[in-house]
Amino acid sequence: MPAPTPCRCATPSPDQDQKENIFLPREANIIRVEKTTEMERILTLRLADGSQMKFEPGQILEVGLMGYGEIPIGLASSPTRTNTFDIVVRSVGRVSQAINTLGKGDTLLIRGPWGHGFPLENLRGHDLLIIAGGIGLCPTRSLIQYALDRRQEFKRFSLFYGARDPQQQLFTADLADWRKSKDVDYHETVDKSDPTWKGNVGVITTLFSKTKIDPGTRVVICGPPIMFKFVIREIDKLGIPHQNVFVDLERRMKCGVGKCGHCQMNDKYVCTDGPVFAFSEIERLEEAI
Amino acid sequence: MSSHFIKESDFAAFLAGLIKEKKVVGPVAKTSRQQEKFVFAQLERGEDLRLDYDVTILPPKKEFFPTQQDLVRFDGPRREGCVTPEEKVLFGVHFYDVKALDMTDLLFQERNDDRNYTARREAATVVISNIQKVSPRAFWSSIGAEIQPQGHDAWLSRIAGGYVLEPRTPKGAALLRFGKFATATPAQIAAARQANDAVAAQCPERLQGTSESNARKVRAAFGQEELWTKLAEDCFSCGSCNTVCPTCYCFDVQDWWNVDQKSGARTRYWDSCLTEDFAKISLGAGATENFRESRGERFRHRFMRKAAYLNEKLGGPACVGCGRCSAACTADIADPTAVINNIPEA
Amino acid sequence: MMAKPKVAFFDFTCCEGCQIEFTNYGDAAFLELLKHVDVVEFREAMSEKTKDPIDIAFIEGSFSREADRPRLEDIRKRAKIVIAYGQCATTGGVNALKNHTKDYKQFVYQKDAAMPHLDSQKAVGVDQAIKVDYYAWGCPVNKYEVLQIVSHLLHGKEPVIPNYPVCVECKRRETICRYDVGDYCLGQTARAGCGAPCPADGIPCEACRGFVDQPNQDALVKVLSKRAGMPWGWAEGKSRMFTANQRGDAA
Repeated sequence: MPAPTPCRCATPSPDQDQKENIFLPREANIIRVEKTTEMERILTLRLADGSQMKFEPGQILEVGLMGYGEIPIGLASSPTRTNTFDIVVRSVGRVSQAINTLGKGDTLLIRGPWGHGFPLENLRGHDLLIIAGGIGLCPTRSLIQYALDRRQEFKRFSLFYGARDPQQQLFTADLADWRKSKDVDYHETVDKSDPTWKGNVGVITTLFSKTKIDPGTRVVICGPPIMFKFVIREIDKLGIPHQNVFVDLERRMKCGVGKCGHCQMNDKYVCTDGPVFAFSEIERLEEAI
Repeated sequence: MSSHFIKESDFAAFLAGLIKEKKVVGPVAKTSRQQEKFVFAQLERGEDLRLDYDVTILPPKKEFFPTQQDLVRFDGPRREGCVTPEEKVLFGVHFYDVKALDMTDLLFQERNDDRNYTARREAATVVISNIQKVSPRAFWSSIGAEIQPQGHDAWLSRIAGGYVLEPRTPKGAALLRFGKFATATPAQIAAARQANDAVAAQCPERLQGTSESNARKVRAAFGQEELWTKLAEDCFSCGSCNTVCPTCYCFDVQDWWNVDQKSGARTRYWDSCLTEDFAKISLGAGATENFRESRGERFRHRFMRKAAYLNEKLGGPACVGCGRCSAACTADIADPTAVINNIPEA
Repeated sequence: MMAKPKVAFFDFTCCEGCQIEFTNYGDAAFLELLKHVDVVEFREAMSEKTKDPIDIAFIEGSFSREADRPRLEDIRKRAKIVIAYGQCATTGGVNALKNHTKDYKQFVYQKDAAMPHLDSQKAVGVDQAIKVDYYAWGCPVNKYEVLQIVSHLLHGKEPVIPNYPVCVECKRRETICRYDVGDYCLGQTARAGCGAPCPADGIPCEACRGFVDQPNQDALVKVLSKRAGMPWGWAEGKSRMFTANQRGDAA
């Protein structure tokens, strides 16, 4: 960064395109905070103007604070739930650390929602399998909630969730519900067990043997890059065509509006063309998986 | 629209009149140790305009997408956007740079209209000048030659005894009132065409193949890691090739405070995908992941973007053959003709 | 925001020029800054000294004498944040030029060479003695960057320090490349953040902020030789002035 001269913007100039300015954020208030792991907090937000935010499951928000910057975060709740929305903030950098010093009643700045979420029209009327690894549960939770709220729109609904260890499990209250729920065929595993853990131990692909998945199933995958390769291998064994498999990708999204180039892989901007892609669309794209 | 002629002796008065009334930006000379280079800068006097320039250090894109541009300014809880269009005449742009502006026009506008760019762009009048001197690394005659420049309001060509101005839009025609223009004769129009056509043969470098065949073979070479590692052996990851490129438009965004610690800005800066940290993300506890870790991967990404990735969207390669990258690379490994010509046909 | 942190400056093996830079903001900016920080020790501008805990310690100078270690450790113990301030403190700076020579004492001090207070060891950055939180590169530091570092820390934000080369900043300001006028330059491997004032003034970049994280040193030698016409041996040693401890051949 070239050294900015001090006091450069003593008299800000009037903005002639306020409404159209894709970089001008709006305010959202933090109405609930839940520390879910050592690194992550769940923030429940509401637009400061009281209006309901329109979004699709799987879309992203740019969330930030002036002076600190912005980070892309996948929406972690379904638009079917009240006029609030959830995000999970993992303290890894300047912006996320600053956000995680805030509490209930504080204001965040958001832009968006941006990007293409999960293709609901394509998922409806079919069996649905969601496979979430680690923090991949956050964006997929928007679809999980949606599927539970609109259960009749889907046939069989299965959910696999893998975490590194029991302490890393996110949304523990939800997990408790899903374990009991008849609406979702839920299976979970941890890579590394601890004395409190009574469930499955092993990588996420071991869960495929726990249930029956029909070849007509629509599959949604979100997790660390290494997970994709192994999950796809299982998907192939089941004979599920790749146009029915949707992946939620992570890159260094910065501007959120398909301009700055940081999240580009091949001719796609993850923030705008994605973050959700049909696997058939990207499997041959260099640098995608 | 009809063409107009202005005598050499009347040209200075035309420029002076224009500068008096409008902000005019054009190529001017910059020197170091008697070496002359050119930059686009606001004209204080008509005499500073150097239509005999070969190429400018930075492309005219900077007039609409400045190297450093505030996006949002803040003062305590108060925030405002910084879309500040300013009327100006961009005078004397070479056609290849207008082809590049056509690309950035599309890319900044599509899907989410970036008014920080497009509002400035709409407020400008762009005048092309014929190329009077060809830069030593130019290859614009052999890349995307099928694509004509669009985003200009008038085309100025120097011929014997004066200049022919062909307005292309009402904004371009509005320039006529600043000078003693007469309707151009058929001979003058022919001379203007000749001035533009003749120079194409002078391009010192040449890209072989067609836009399609080059896109195909560059893309097909993606998996040849040894090739890209070798090509990037002397790469400094210095980003010079990106920074001088008229079709590159990546940026970084940083926030900062003024010394009062309560006001400040969110500012974007030109960024470069060749630099080490461009695709690096933080995973926490000091750990990072870099989606293009090696020099070879970053070098390859640039060529994919220039020759292949954006072709469908742009209708041709994201390169206009200005040769700025070839000249800016101190290791001289960035030249698209040298790299692409040496990749065997797929 | 951090409530008026206590800031102190300390110096080791250096010329104290980086501290002088801190007084060069001009009255308006400096007085504004003093509303936000409490300078408790700064020998360039005040006589007070402190033994109290400090929020931000700026340490100038290289670590070149074992005898300095306790003082560095004491600063570290008292300071919440330690900033290696200037090139001597970050990498050893020009002091490190002696690291690969044996006769420097004779050469520099001549008849006084044997005097015990002139004894020193290898010059290295202060992070070789204590943990350093942030690095303010440069000979001298860029005072505007320092202002941003302080500003970011006041807000609890990790400072943003570039890891791209000086070429980026030269191009942004349309400086004529030194190589285009037959000169040499180290900007391709040098850490930016200075705003590239030297090439803009017609002077080559000497990499006074050290190298970027992954400098292509082999390519630099090639380009210095091929483009700038430097004899190979000279080209090989050329970047040493500010990067002696960062180079592949660091002593």
